[in-house]
Amino acid sequence: MIDARLRKPELRVVRVPDVDPPSPTTGDAASPALKEVDWAILMAHAQAGDAAAYRRLLTEVTPYLRSLAAAAHQDPLDIEDTVQETLLSVHSVRHTYDPARPFGPWLVAIAQRRIVDRLRTQRKRKSNETPITDEHEALATHAASGPEDGLDAQAVRDAIGRLPMGQRDAIRLLKLQEMSLREASTATGLTVAALKVATHRGLRTLRRLMGQSGGEQR
Amino acid sequence: MKTSDFIELLVADARPVRRLPRPLVRALLWMLLPAFVFGVLALSHGVRPRFEQQLADPGYLLGLASSLLTGLLAAVASFRLDIPGASRRWALLPVPTLLVWIASIGHGCLTPWVPIGPGAMRIDEAARCFATALLTSVPLSVAMFAMLRRGWPLSPTAVTFTGSLAVAAMSAAAVSVFHDLDASAMVLVWNLGTAACVVAIMSYFGRSLLAEKRSTYSG
Repeated sequence: MIDARLRKPELRVVRVPDVDPPSPTTGDAASPALKEVDWAILMAHAQAGDAAAYRRLLTEVTPYLRSLAAAAHQDPLDIEDTVQETLLSVHSVRHTYDPARPFGPWLVAIAQRRIVDRLRTQRKRKSNETPITDEHEALATHAASGPEDGLDAQAVRDAIGRLPMGQRDAIRLLKLQEMSLREASTATGLTVAALKVATHRGLRTLRRLMGQSGGEQR
Repeated sequence: MKTSDFIELLVADARPVRRLPRPLVRALLWMLLPAFVFGVLALSHGVRPRFEQQLADPGYLLGLASSLLTGLLAAVASFRLDIPGASRRWALLPVPTLLVWIASIGHGCLTPWVPIGPGAMRIDEAARCFATALLTSVPLSVAMFAMLRRGWPLSPTAVTFTGSLAVAAMSAAAVSVFHDLDASAMVLVWNLGTAACVVAIMSYFGRSLLAEKRSTYSG
């Protein structure tokens, strides 16, 4: 069953701006309005390439973004992923911010979009999942406990080990460690497109290798 | 990855960026293109017959002015909606002038000097009108979407619709400046027909174009 909070993501997110005002990391008692002006000035400096101002801005908005994400998500991993996706979007579209206009609505609009996108992805993923019944459980246990299961796993591990380095890394990070494309891109220094290509080729090579080994066994 | 480490990655990529101009400035920059196209058409094709007399007609002036103003206001609305945090109510900005424009066309069609009926359509003039509408709307559409893609539309539908309306209004203005339509039903067909076609075509392609643009930033 789809989680009730995923049915109408927009309704959840509409309440997001009501979350408590930004909490300054420095602990000063600046009012939200002053803080927003502060952020607008920091963003103006960041647009000019001031790394220190940009670091301070991103660090200061993070707790606020986290509180927005927490209003829509419960899983801490989802919250943190949403925060990082929002920060990435802020980074990508920072040229659209006009320092003469309030910073808050600009930031909240981006955060809302990322929150809604994540809720939609979750809803889509959940709608494709089939609930596990006792029957499934029994079959899965039986299959996993079979003596051939260990052999298959070993064969897959061996086949992965025989892949070229780029394809092997892509398969390990994306398929075995279940990293996102962005995380794998950061970890390897490869672009997302290169990782997709390497994964596609890796899976194709794996199929070929597994087919060959199957043939050899026969 | 920890968020603090992620922030450091973003900071390491903090190159200076060229800020988007204000929506009104972007709209005025875009309006330079229709001005250029109008100039080229005036030189190559010449304005419609009895253009000076038409300018003395308040009905014609109102229609022309309202379509040009609709184009400008729709462009401002589109460029404003192209920025995160803009209220969707900006999409209503061109509505008053749009209503005046539609009313002026409707009024023109009801007056006795615009016969609507068999024989009112002229095929040769229709072909020339089509060429003018195409020559105006294609470059304006390309320029509009190239400019819109620099922003980040959170509501691609509203952005596309207002952008299309801006192009349609300018195309209709071009048709009414360069073609003698007052004596036929084509005044209705070409003003509203062109506008509807441009809006429909641009909405179909533009929405997916802008939505795709937005998703490229999703990481």
